[in-house]
Amino acid sequence: MFNIAFTGEFVAFFVLSVIMICGAVLMISLEKVVHMVISMAAVFLGLAGMFVLLEAEFVAFVQVLIYAGAVSILMIFGIMMTKHQQEEREKAKPLHETLAAVGALSLFGILFYAIRTTTFPEPTPFQGSHDNTMAIGELLYTGYVIPFELLSVLLTVAFIGAIVLAKKGADE
Amino acid sequence: MGPWLNEAMTWGNALILFLWAVVFLFIVLGFVTYAIFFERKVIGWMQLRIGPNRVGPFGMLQTVADIFKLLIKEDTIPRKADRVLFILAPALAYIPAFSVLAVIPYTQKLYFADLNVGLLYYVALSGLSTLGIVLGGWASNNKYALLGGMRSAAQMISYEVPLVISVVGVILLSGSLNLRVIVEAQSGGWFWNWNFIPQIIGFAIFIIAAVSELNRTPFDLPEAESELVAGYHVEYSGFRFAFFMLSEYVYVYAIAALTTVLFLGGWNAPAPFLDFVPGMIWFLLKFTFIVFSLFWIRATFPRIRVDQLMGLGWKVLLPVSLLNVFLTAVYLELFIK
Repeated sequence: MFNIAFTGEFVAFFVLSVIMICGAVLMISLEKVVHMVISMAAVFLGLAGMFVLLEAEFVAFVQVLIYAGAVSILMIFGIMMTKHQQEEREKAKPLHETLAAVGALSLFGILFYAIRTTTFPEPTPFQGSHDNTMAIGELLYTGYVIPFELLSVLLTVAFIGAIVLAKKGADE
Repeated sequence: MGPWLNEAMTWGNALILFLWAVVFLFIVLGFVTYAIFFERKVIGWMQLRIGPNRVGPFGMLQTVADIFKLLIKEDTIPRKADRVLFILAPALAYIPAFSVLAVIPYTQKLYFADLNVGLLYYVALSGLSTLGIVLGGWASNNKYALLGGMRSAAQMISYEVPLVISVVGVILLSGSLNLRVIVEAQSGGWFWNWNFIPQIIGFAIFIIAAVSELNRTPFDLPEAESELVAGYHVEYSGFRFAFFMLSEYVYVYAIAALTTVLFLGGWNAPAPFLDFVPGMIWFLLKFTFIVFSLFWIRATFPRIRVDQLMGLGWKVLLPVSLLNVFLTAVYLELFIK
């Protein structure tokens, strides 16, 4: 069940997982909203590290650029611009929390057991092209050109919609 | 440097790479120390002053003394500040500043990381510094710091967009995001093969956006001394303040090196008969010229207003940089393919 080889890759995977899990747990348990955003940024960075481990550098750094950079800053802006009184903590419900913990732990146990005991088909060696940015670009403009164009239309619509909404507020 | 990167990672190799990194760290720290000194000297001369001249010969030790003062100063944290974020913010500003330096190639043989997506790596990580600045401003619990932090974030985000789009032309011309390949694509013997002439629009936008990204005059609104006390780092003192300053000057280094690599042909000589001069010298000459120009701009331009800043970023630079991408693509399609 624990047939793990201690390679550099495993150590990196372990460290990144710890960062991501800690970030996710802190995101839920911290009380100030700004702290939550920071722990979420840690999750994003850990995820980018995972992509690097999987030899997908392009996706990894786009992840850093968009999520860890842009989305986090956007959220911080949103939080700073709006009012955020410290909300009162809910009263602790011991029975409810114990049951939730038991449920979550048993779900984790089942998933862990299932993953570790399944024999996966021998993975074919990864045929990563030397330049996976080029490969992504070629795929986007050949096989996936229609979804790609549809997405850009969707984004443009969202963009114009945001401007219209902002203008409406400014006129009044 | 190249051969070591491709060898298997043993403890010996790891040690060699680590020592290289330490040497490089000291080079960068030395650069920052003397960049500050020369900035003060150059601006002094341009404004008909003398500049620092008391500590050491010609004032050479002035910055060393300043840094020493910062390091032994009392480290204050305001009582109502958010302690954790207040401590975290300088590190968040400073770590990306140093990590972006990894991908910059200096000569054909001297580079620290041969990354496929080097340019994207630079852009992505440098965006993280904004997070440190906003958090520093917010965590101080001071209205001036918060204003400075917000201005800084708004400015860095608005100018990052044209900065990124202006280099798309360079990427199109060289067909790669790898900074070494980009330099090699510019080698043709003569200086008109460098990207700054075919990409003159992109080059202009890049320089303007870069000055703005560095928060330097004429775009130094986040630290406008006469309006904001000091900006996002009002409440910082001692070595935390030094870290903010350090990351700012490391970015000067990074942007100057990146401009050299992207637009000025990196280590290539300007003419074929000058090839006997080592590439490192050419790189340093171009690099020094960019750094000097940054000081020059700072000494001679007035500061612009905040609404002009945003207007320039979104209404002028962004459309022009998009136009530049379009023109480059059309040119490539019609004449090269």
